[in-house]
Amino acid sequence: MIVRDLTKTYDGRKVLDVKHFEFEKGRIYAVVGANGSGKSTFAKVLAGVISSDEANCILRDKTCVVRYSPQKGYAFRMSTLKNVTMAGKGKRDREKAKELLKSLDMEHLMKTPAHKLSGGETAKMALARVMMEKCDYLILDEPCAAMDVQSTLKTEELVKAYCEKCGCAVIIITHSLKQAERISDRVLYFEEGILTESGASAEILHNPKSEKTRAFLDFYTI
Amino acid sequence: MKTAFLQAIELVLSGDKQLLGILEVTMRMSIASSLLALLIGVPIGVLLSTARFPGRQALVVVNRTLTGVPPVVCGLICYMLFSGVGPLRHLRLLYTVQGMVIAQIMLITPIVVANMEAYLRDIVPSIRETSKGLGLSAGKVFVITAAESRYQIISTYLLGFARATAEVGAVSMVGGAIAYKTNVMTTAIMNSTSRGDFTLGVALGIILLAISLVINVVAYFLQRRVSR
Repeated sequence: MIVRDLTKTYDGRKVLDVKHFEFEKGRIYAVVGANGSGKSTFAKVLAGVISSDEANCILRDKTCVVRYSPQKGYAFRMSTLKNVTMAGKGKRDREKAKELLKSLDMEHLMKTPAHKLSGGETAKMALARVMMEKCDYLILDEPCAAMDVQSTLKTEELVKAYCEKCGCAVIIITHSLKQAERISDRVLYFEEGILTESGASAEILHNPKSEKTRAFLDFYTI
Repeated sequence: MKTAFLQAIELVLSGDKQLLGILEVTMRMSIASSLLALLIGVPIGVLLSTARFPGRQALVVVNRTLTGVPPVVCGLICYMLFSGVGPLRHLRLLYTVQGMVIAQIMLITPIVVANMEAYLRDIVPSIRETSKGLGLSAGKVFVITAAESRYQIISTYLLGFARATAEVGAVSMVGGAIAYKTNVMTTAIMNSTSRGDFTLGVALGIILLAISLVINVVAYFLQRRVSR
Protein backbone atom coordinates (compact mmCIF):
# COMPACT_ATOMS: atom_id res chain seq x y z
CA MET A 1 0.00 0.00 0.00
CA ILE A 2 1.50 3.31 -1.11
CA VAL A 3 0.40 6.61 0.39
CA ARG A 4 1.18 9.62 -1.78
CA ASP A 5 0.36 13.31 -1.20
CA LEU A 6 -2.36 12.44 1.26
CA THR A 7 -4.09 15.40 2.90
CA LYS A 8 -7.22 15.87 4.97
CA THR A 9 -8.75 19.25 5.73
CA TYR A 10 -11.45 20.02 8.30
CA ASP A 11 -13.10 23.46 8.24
CA GLY A 12 -10.20 24.93 6.27
CA ARG A 13 -7.57 23.48 8.66
CA LYS A 14 -5.22 20.86 7.28
CA VAL A 15 -5.11 18.07 9.86
CA LEU A 16 -3.20 15.50 7.85
CA ASP A 17 -0.33 15.78 5.39
CA VAL A 18 1.62 12.71 4.30
CA LYS A 19 3.94 13.16 1.33
CA HIS A 20 4.94 9.55 0.77
CA PHE A 21 4.95 6.28 2.63
CA GLU A 22 4.88 2.60 1.67
CA PHE A 23 3.45 -0.14 3.85
CA GLU A 24 4.87 -3.60 3.33
CA LYS A 25 3.02 -6.79 4.17
CA GLY A 26 4.34 -8.90 7.02
CA ARG A 27 5.46 -5.89 9.05
CA ILE A 28 4.01 -4.15 12.09
CA TYR A 29 3.93 -0.37 12.02
CA ALA A 30 3.42 1.79 15.10
CA VAL A 31 2.02 5.26 14.55
CA VAL A 32 3.03 7.59 17.40
CA GLY A 33 2.63 11.27 18.19
CA ALA A 34 1.00 13.61 20.67
CA ASN A 35 -2.75 14.09 21.05
CA GLY A 36 -4.27 15.73 17.98
CA SER A 37 -1.25 14.96 15.81
CA GLY A 38 -3.42 13.26 13.18
CA LYS A 39 -2.77 9.60 14.04
CA SER A 40 -6.42 8.55 14.21
CA THR A 41 -7.35 10.59 11.14
CA PHE A 42 -4.53 8.81 9.28
CA ALA A 43 -5.91 5.44 10.40
CA LYS A 44 -9.46 6.35 9.34
CA VAL A 45 -8.35 7.56 5.92
CA LEU A 46 -6.28 4.40 5.38
CA ALA A 47 -9.28 2.27 6.38
CA GLY A 48 -11.59 4.21 4.07
CA VAL A 49 -13.86 5.25 6.93
CA ILE A 50 -13.33 8.89 5.94
CA SER A 51 -12.16 10.19 2.60
CA SER A 52 -9.02 12.19 1.92
CA ASP A 53 -9.13 15.61 0.26
CA GLU A 54 -8.28 14.10 -3.09
CA ALA A 55 -8.88 10.66 -4.53
CA ASN A 56 -6.14 8.17 -5.48
CA CYS A 57 -3.80 9.17 -2.65
CA ILE A 58 -3.74 5.58 -1.42
CA LEU A 59 -2.61 3.04 -3.98
CA ARG A 60 -3.36 -0.60 -3.27
CA ASP A 61 -4.57 -3.69 -5.02
CA LYS A 62 -8.34 -3.54 -5.50
CA THR A 63 -8.71 -7.06 -4.18
CA CYS A 64 -6.82 -6.44 -0.96
CA VAL A 65 -8.79 -6.54 2.28
CA VAL A 66 -8.43 -3.81 4.88
CA ARG A 67 -9.81 -4.24 8.40
CA TYR A 68 -10.02 -1.49 10.98
CA SER A 69 -10.88 -1.36 14.64
CA PRO A 70 -11.76 2.16 15.87
CA GLN A 71 -10.66 3.69 19.15
CA LYS A 72 -14.04 2.93 20.70
CA GLY A 73 -15.42 -0.13 19.00
CA TYR A 74 -19.21 -0.36 19.15
CA ALA A 75 -20.57 -3.12 21.36
CA PHE A 76 -23.76 -4.35 19.72
CA ARG A 77 -26.69 -5.37 21.91
CA MET A 78 -26.02 -9.08 21.68
CA SER A 79 -23.73 -11.54 23.42
CA THR A 80 -19.96 -11.06 23.30
CA LEU A 81 -19.65 -14.26 21.26
CA LYS A 82 -22.24 -13.06 18.72
CA ASN A 83 -20.48 -9.70 18.50
CA VAL A 84 -17.33 -11.51 17.43
CA THR A 85 -19.07 -14.11 15.25
CA MET A 86 -20.89 -11.44 13.22
CA ALA A 87 -17.60 -10.35 11.66
CA GLY A 88 -17.03 -13.79 10.17
CA LYS A 89 -18.12 -15.16 6.84
CA GLY A 90 -17.46 -18.87 7.11
CA LYS A 91 -19.30 -21.82 8.65
CA ARG A 92 -16.76 -22.36 11.42
CA ASP A 93 -17.13 -18.78 12.70
CA ARG A 94 -18.43 -19.76 16.11
CA GLU A 95 -15.49 -22.01 16.92
CA LYS A 96 -13.03 -19.45 15.63
CA ALA A 97 -14.66 -16.69 17.70
CA LYS A 98 -14.50 -18.90 20.79
CA GLU A 99 -10.81 -19.56 20.22
CA LEU A 100 -10.05 -15.87 19.82
CA LEU A 101 -11.97 -14.93 22.95
CA LYS A 102 -10.28 -17.75 24.84
CA SER A 103 -6.84 -16.49 23.81
CA LEU A 104 -7.80 -13.13 25.35
CA ASP A 105 -9.02 -14.73 28.61
CA MET A 106 -12.63 -13.95 27.82
CA GLU A 107 -14.18 -17.41 27.71
CA HIS A 108 -16.22 -16.67 30.86
CA LEU A 109 -17.73 -13.58 29.17
CA MET A 110 -18.92 -15.20 25.93
CA LYS A 111 -22.59 -15.15 26.92
CA THR A 112 -22.43 -11.70 28.56
CA PRO A 113 -24.20 -8.92 26.61
CA ALA A 114 -21.35 -6.99 24.98
CA HIS A 115 -22.71 -3.59 26.01
CA LYS A 116 -22.27 -4.63 29.65
CA LEU A 117 -18.53 -5.31 29.32
CA SER A 118 -15.97 -3.01 30.90
CA GLY A 119 -13.82 -0.70 28.75
CA GLY A 120 -10.90 -3.12 28.65
CA GLU A 121 -13.14 -6.12 27.95
CA THR A 122 -14.88 -4.22 25.15
CA ALA A 123 -11.48 -3.42 23.64
CA LYS A 124 -10.53 -7.13 23.75
CA MET A 125 -13.87 -8.11 22.20
CA ALA A 126 -13.35 -5.51 19.42
CA LEU A 127 -9.86 -6.89 18.78
CA ALA A 128 -11.14 -10.47 18.54
CA ARG A 129 -13.89 -9.28 16.20
CA VAL A 130 -11.56 -7.52 13.79
CA MET A 131 -9.29 -10.58 13.69
CA MET A 132 -12.07 -12.98 12.68
CA GLU A 133 -11.17 -12.91 9.01
CA LYS A 134 -7.82 -12.82 7.25
CA CYS A 135 -6.87 -9.47 5.78
CA ASP A 136 -4.03 -7.73 4.00
CA TYR A 137 -3.94 -4.63 6.20
CA LEU A 138 -5.06 -4.54 9.80
CA ILE A 139 -5.44 -1.08 11.30
CA LEU A 140 -5.87 -0.83 15.07
CA ASP A 141 -6.55 2.52 16.71
CA GLU A 142 -5.23 2.39 20.28
CA PRO A 143 -6.36 -1.20 20.89
CA CYS A 144 -4.81 -1.40 24.36
CA ALA A 145 -5.77 2.07 25.68
CA ALA A 146 -8.20 0.65 28.25
CA MET A 147 -6.38 -2.60 29.01
CA ASP A 148 -4.30 -3.65 32.00
CA VAL A 149 -0.63 -4.67 31.56
CA GLN A 150 -1.33 -8.39 31.35
CA SER A 151 -4.04 -7.96 28.72
CA THR A 152 -1.83 -5.52 26.80
CA LEU A 153 0.98 -8.05 26.58
CA LYS A 154 -1.41 -10.83 25.52
CA THR A 155 -2.91 -8.56 22.89
CA GLU A 156 0.53 -7.76 21.52
CA GLU A 157 1.34 -11.46 21.25
CA LEU A 158 -1.96 -12.11 19.49
CA VAL A 159 -1.36 -9.26 17.02
CA LYS A 160 2.14 -10.53 16.28
CA ALA A 161 0.84 -14.08 15.74
CA TYR A 162 -1.96 -12.79 13.48
CA CYS A 163 0.54 -10.79 11.43
CA GLU A 164 2.79 -13.82 11.01
CA LYS A 165 -0.08 -16.16 10.18
CA CYS A 166 -1.80 -13.87 7.65
CA GLY A 167 1.32 -12.21 6.35
CA CYS A 168 -0.53 -8.91 6.57
CA ALA A 169 0.67 -5.47 7.52
CA VAL A 170 -0.50 -4.28 10.93
CA ILE A 171 -0.77 -0.55 11.54
CA ILE A 172 -1.21 0.18 15.21
CA ILE A 173 -1.91 3.63 16.60
CA THR A 174 -0.47 3.95 20.08
CA HIS A 175 0.44 6.45 22.75
CA SER A 176 2.77 3.98 24.42
CA LEU A 177 6.33 4.21 23.14
CA LYS A 178 7.11 1.08 25.14
CA GLN A 179 4.45 -0.74 23.19
CA ALA A 180 5.79 0.67 19.92
CA GLU A 181 9.23 -0.66 20.80
CA ARG A 182 7.90 -4.08 21.86
CA ILE A 183 5.62 -4.75 18.94
CA SER A 184 6.62 -2.80 15.84
CA ASP A 185 9.19 -3.15 13.09
CA ARG A 186 8.67 0.40 11.87
CA VAL A 187 7.61 3.61 13.57
CA LEU A 188 5.83 6.58 12.02
CA TYR A 189 6.01 9.81 14.00
CA PHE A 190 3.30 12.43 13.43
CA GLU A 191 3.36 16.05 14.48
CA GLU A 192 0.52 18.47 13.78
CA GLY A 193 -0.79 16.19 11.06
CA ILE A 194 2.52 15.86 9.29
CA LEU A 195 4.42 12.57 9.02
CA THR A 196 7.67 14.02 10.32
CA GLU A 197 9.80 10.92 10.59
CA SER A 198 9.61 7.21 9.89
CA GLY A 199 11.94 4.24 9.90
CA ALA A 200 13.03 1.19 11.86
CA SER A 201 11.60 1.23 15.40
CA ALA A 202 14.95 1.07 17.24
CA GLU A 203 16.32 3.85 15.08
CA ILE A 204 13.38 6.22 15.49
CA LEU A 205 12.82 5.53 19.17
CA HIS A 206 16.47 5.72 20.23
CA ASN A 207 18.19 7.83 17.66
CA PRO A 208 15.75 10.08 15.82
CA LYS A 209 17.01 12.43 13.17
CA SER A 210 14.46 15.18 13.68
CA GLU A 211 14.78 17.52 16.65
CA LYS A 212 11.01 17.53 17.07
CA THR A 213 10.90 13.75 17.37
CA ARG A 214 13.77 13.84 19.85
CA ALA A 215 11.94 16.44 21.95
CA PHE A 216 8.78 14.29 21.93
CA LEU A 217 10.68 11.15 22.89
CA ASP A 218 12.55 12.93 25.67
CA PHE A 219 9.22 14.04 27.10
CA TYR A 220 7.69 10.56 26.88
CA THR A 221 10.60 8.64 28.40
CA ILE A 222 10.78 5.10 27.09
CA MET B 1 -68.16 13.31 43.65
CA LYS B 2 -67.87 10.05 45.59
CA THR B 3 -71.18 8.86 44.13
CA ALA B 4 -70.06 9.78 40.60
CA PHE B 5 -66.81 7.87 41.13
CA LEU B 6 -68.59 4.73 42.40
CA GLN B 7 -71.12 4.91 39.57
CA ALA B 8 -68.27 5.29 37.09
CA ILE B 9 -66.58 2.11 38.36
CA GLU B 10 -69.94 0.34 38.13
CA LEU B 11 -70.28 1.61 34.55
CA VAL B 12 -66.82 0.34 33.61
CA LEU B 13 -67.52 -3.08 35.13
CA SER B 14 -71.01 -3.38 33.59
CA GLY B 15 -69.75 -3.26 30.01
CA ASP B 16 -72.05 -0.36 29.06
CA LYS B 17 -72.81 -0.29 25.31
CA GLN B 18 -72.14 3.44 24.93
CA LEU B 19 -68.87 3.18 26.82
CA LEU B 20 -67.71 0.21 24.73
CA GLY B 21 -68.61 2.10 21.55
CA ILE B 22 -66.47 5.06 22.59
CA LEU B 23 -63.63 2.73 23.53
CA GLU B 24 -63.83 0.93 20.20
CA VAL B 25 -63.64 4.16 18.17
CA THR B 26 -60.78 5.44 20.34
CA MET B 27 -58.75 2.26 19.91
CA ARG B 28 -59.40 2.08 16.17
CA MET B 29 -58.29 5.67 15.69
CA SER B 30 -55.31 5.50 18.07
CA ILE B 31 -53.89 2.19 16.82
CA ALA B 32 -54.24 3.16 13.14
CA SER B 33 -52.81 6.66 13.54
CA SER B 34 -49.88 5.64 15.76
CA LEU B 35 -48.96 2.70 13.50
CA LEU B 36 -49.10 4.82 10.34
CA ALA B 37 -47.15 7.64 12.01
CA LEU B 38 -44.52 5.06 13.01
CA LEU B 39 -44.31 3.71 9.45
CA ILE B 40 -43.85 7.22 8.06
CA GLY B 41 -41.76 8.67 10.89
CA VAL B 42 -39.14 5.94 11.46
CA PRO B 43 -37.66 6.03 7.92
CA ILE B 44 -37.61 9.84 7.99
CA GLY B 45 -35.89 9.77 11.40
CA VAL B 46 -33.34 7.26 10.08
CA LEU B 47 -32.73 9.41 7.01
CA LEU B 48 -32.28 12.61 9.03
CA SER B 49 -29.82 10.97 11.39
CA THR B 50 -27.78 8.97 8.89
CA ALA B 51 -27.80 10.74 5.52
CA ARG B 52 -25.80 13.87 4.75
CA PHE B 53 -27.53 16.23 2.32
CA PRO B 54 -28.01 20.00 1.96
CA GLY B 55 -30.84 21.31 4.12
CA ARG B 56 -30.76 18.39 6.57
CA GLN B 57 -30.25 20.65 9.59
CA ALA B 58 -33.10 22.90 8.39
CA LEU B 59 -35.37 19.85 8.16
CA VAL B 60 -34.41 18.81 11.70
CA VAL B 61 -35.35 22.29 12.98
CA VAL B 62 -38.62 22.29 10.98
CA ASN B 63 -39.52 18.88 12.41
CA ARG B 64 -38.76 20.04 15.96
CA THR B 65 -41.05 23.02 15.35
CA LEU B 66 -43.80 20.71 14.12
CA THR B 67 -43.66 18.68 17.35
CA GLY B 68 -45.01 21.78 19.11
CA VAL B 69 -47.86 22.55 16.72
CA PRO B 70 -51.08 23.07 18.74
CA PRO B 71 -53.58 20.28 17.93
CA VAL B 72 -56.35 22.79 17.20
CA VAL B 73 -54.19 24.30 14.44
CA CYS B 74 -53.77 20.85 12.96
CA GLY B 75 -57.53 20.30 13.32
CA LEU B 76 -58.19 23.61 11.60
CA ILE B 77 -55.93 22.69 8.64
CA CYS B 78 -57.65 19.32 8.24
CA TYR B 79 -61.09 20.93 8.58
CA MET B 80 -60.24 23.46 5.86
CA LEU B 81 -58.93 20.68 3.59
CA PHE B 82 -61.88 18.30 4.08
CA SER B 83 -64.80 20.73 4.50
CA GLY B 84 -67.36 21.46 1.79
CA VAL B 85 -65.24 24.26 0.33
CA GLY B 86 -61.85 22.57 0.84
CA PRO B 87 -59.65 21.13 -1.93
CA LEU B 88 -60.05 17.58 -0.60
CA ARG B 89 -63.84 17.71 -0.07
CA HIS B 90 -64.40 14.95 -2.66
CA LEU B 91 -62.66 12.48 -0.28
CA ARG B 92 -65.55 12.97 2.21
CA LEU B 93 -63.23 12.63 5.21
CA LEU B 94 -64.81 15.25 7.45
CA TYR B 95 -66.54 13.72 10.49
CA THR B 96 -65.04 10.30 9.82
CA VAL B 97 -62.52 8.20 11.77
CA GLN B 98 -60.24 8.23 8.69
CA GLY B 99 -60.17 12.04 8.79
CA MET B 100 -59.34 11.92 12.50
CA VAL B 101 -56.53 9.43 11.76
CA ILE B 102 -55.03 11.82 9.19
CA ALA B 103 -55.12 14.70 11.70
CA GLN B 104 -53.47 12.46 14.31
CA ILE B 105 -50.77 11.34 11.85
CA MET B 106 -49.95 15.00 11.24
CA LEU B 107 -49.52 15.48 14.98
CA ILE B 108 -47.69 12.26 15.87
CA THR B 109 -45.28 11.83 12.93
CA PRO B 110 -43.01 14.76 13.92
CA ILE B 111 -42.77 13.28 17.43
CA VAL B 112 -41.74 9.88 16.01
CA VAL B 113 -39.20 11.52 13.67
CA ALA B 114 -37.68 13.61 16.48
CA ASN B 115 -37.41 10.60 18.79
CA MET B 116 -35.74 8.38 16.23
CA GLU B 117 -33.44 11.11 14.97
CA ALA B 118 -32.23 11.98 18.47
CA TYR B 119 -31.61 8.33 19.36
CA LEU B 120 -29.87 7.32 16.14
CA ARG B 121 -27.77 10.49 15.93
CA ASP B 122 -25.84 9.24 18.97
CA ILE B 123 -25.24 5.65 17.89
CA VAL B 124 -25.12 5.65 14.09
CA PRO B 125 -21.62 7.20 13.61
CA SER B 126 -20.18 4.58 15.94
CA ILE B 127 -22.07 1.70 14.28
CA ARG B 128 -21.07 2.97 10.85
CA GLU B 129 -17.37 3.23 11.76
CA THR B 130 -17.26 -0.22 13.36
CA SER B 131 -19.23 -1.86 10.52
CA LYS B 132 -17.10 -0.28 7.83
CA GLY B 133 -13.95 -1.38 9.65
CA LEU B 134 -15.26 -4.96 9.67
CA GLY B 135 -16.21 -4.82 6.01
CA LEU B 136 -19.89 -5.59 6.66
CA SER B 137 -22.33 -5.28 3.77
CA ALA B 138 -24.84 -2.42 3.61
CA GLY B 139 -27.66 -4.92 4.13
CA LYS B 140 -26.06 -6.34 7.26
CA VAL B 141 -25.45 -2.83 8.63
CA PHE B 142 -29.13 -1.97 8.06
CA VAL B 143 -30.30 -5.11 9.87
CA ILE B 144 -27.90 -4.44 12.75
CA THR B 145 -28.98 -0.80 13.08
CA ALA B 146 -32.65 -1.83 13.05
CA ALA B 147 -31.96 -4.46 15.70
CA GLU B 148 -30.08 -1.92 17.83
CA SER B 149 -33.12 0.42 17.62
CA ARG B 150 -35.82 -2.15 18.41
CA TYR B 151 -36.56 -0.98 21.95
CA GLN B 152 -36.52 2.64 20.87
CA ILE B 153 -39.01 1.92 18.08
CA ILE B 154 -41.41 0.19 20.49
CA SER B 155 -40.97 2.97 23.02
CA THR B 156 -41.63 5.60 20.33
CA TYR B 157 -44.74 3.74 19.21
CA LEU B 158 -46.10 3.72 22.76
CA LEU B 159 -45.44 7.45 23.02
CA GLY B 160 -47.34 8.02 19.77
CA PHE B 161 -50.21 5.81 20.93
CA ALA B 162 -50.45 7.66 24.25
CA ARG B 163 -50.49 10.97 22.37
CA ALA B 164 -53.27 9.67 20.10
CA THR B 165 -55.53 8.53 22.95
CA ALA B 166 -55.09 11.80 24.86
CA GLU B 167 -55.75 14.13 21.89
CA VAL B 168 -58.84 16.40 21.99
CA GLY B 169 -58.56 19.53 19.85
CA ALA B 170 -57.85 18.10 16.40
CA VAL B 171 -60.14 15.06 16.70
CA SER B 172 -63.11 17.08 17.91
CA MET B 173 -62.76 19.50 15.00
CA VAL B 174 -62.28 16.85 12.31
CA GLY B 175 -64.43 14.10 13.85
CA GLY B 176 -67.22 16.23 15.29
CA ALA B 177 -67.67 13.84 18.24
CA ILE B 178 -70.63 12.03 16.67
CA ALA B 179 -71.97 9.34 19.01
CA TYR B 180 -71.13 5.75 17.99
CA LYS B 181 -69.22 7.10 14.98
CA THR B 182 -66.45 9.56 15.82
CA ASN B 183 -66.85 10.12 19.55
CA VAL B 184 -63.60 9.18 21.29
CA MET B 185 -62.81 9.12 25.01
CA THR B 186 -61.51 12.66 25.27
CA THR B 187 -64.35 14.26 23.30
CA ALA B 188 -66.87 12.12 25.17
CA ILE B 189 -65.50 13.39 28.50
CA MET B 190 -65.91 16.98 27.29
CA ASN B 191 -69.45 16.39 26.03
CA SER B 192 -70.65 14.45 29.06
CA THR B 193 -69.22 17.07 31.43
CA SER B 194 -70.97 19.87 29.55
CA ARG B 195 -74.23 17.89 29.90
CA GLY B 196 -73.61 17.43 33.62
CA ASP B 197 -73.17 13.64 33.21
CA PHE B 198 -70.13 13.19 35.39
CA THR B 199 -70.45 9.41 35.67
CA LEU B 200 -69.49 8.72 32.04
CA GLY B 201 -66.77 11.37 32.17
CA VAL B 202 -65.18 9.88 35.30
CA ALA B 203 -65.47 6.34 33.91
CA LEU B 204 -63.67 7.36 30.72
CA GLY B 205 -61.13 9.30 32.77
CA ILE B 206 -60.36 6.15 34.79
CA ILE B 207 -59.88 4.13 31.60
CA LEU B 208 -57.67 6.84 30.06
CA LEU B 209 -55.52 6.95 33.18
CA ALA B 210 -55.28 3.14 33.24
CA ILE B 211 -54.14 3.10 29.59
CA SER B 212 -51.63 5.86 30.30
CA LEU B 213 -50.33 3.93 33.33
CA VAL B 214 -49.87 0.69 31.36
CA ILE B 215 -48.10 2.52 28.51
CA ASN B 216 -45.80 4.37 30.88
CA VAL B 217 -44.89 1.23 32.81
CA VAL B 218 -44.01 -0.60 29.58
CA ALA B 219 -42.12 2.46 28.25
CA TYR B 220 -40.22 2.75 31.54
CA PHE B 221 -38.97 -0.83 31.33
CA LEU B 222 -38.07 -0.41 27.67
CA GLN B 223 -36.14 2.79 28.43
CA ARG B 224 -34.31 0.96 31.20
CA ARG B 225 -33.40 -1.76 28.73
CA VAL B 226 -32.17 0.81 26.22
CA SER B 227 -30.00 2.60 28.76
CA ARG B 228 -28.48 -0.61 30.18
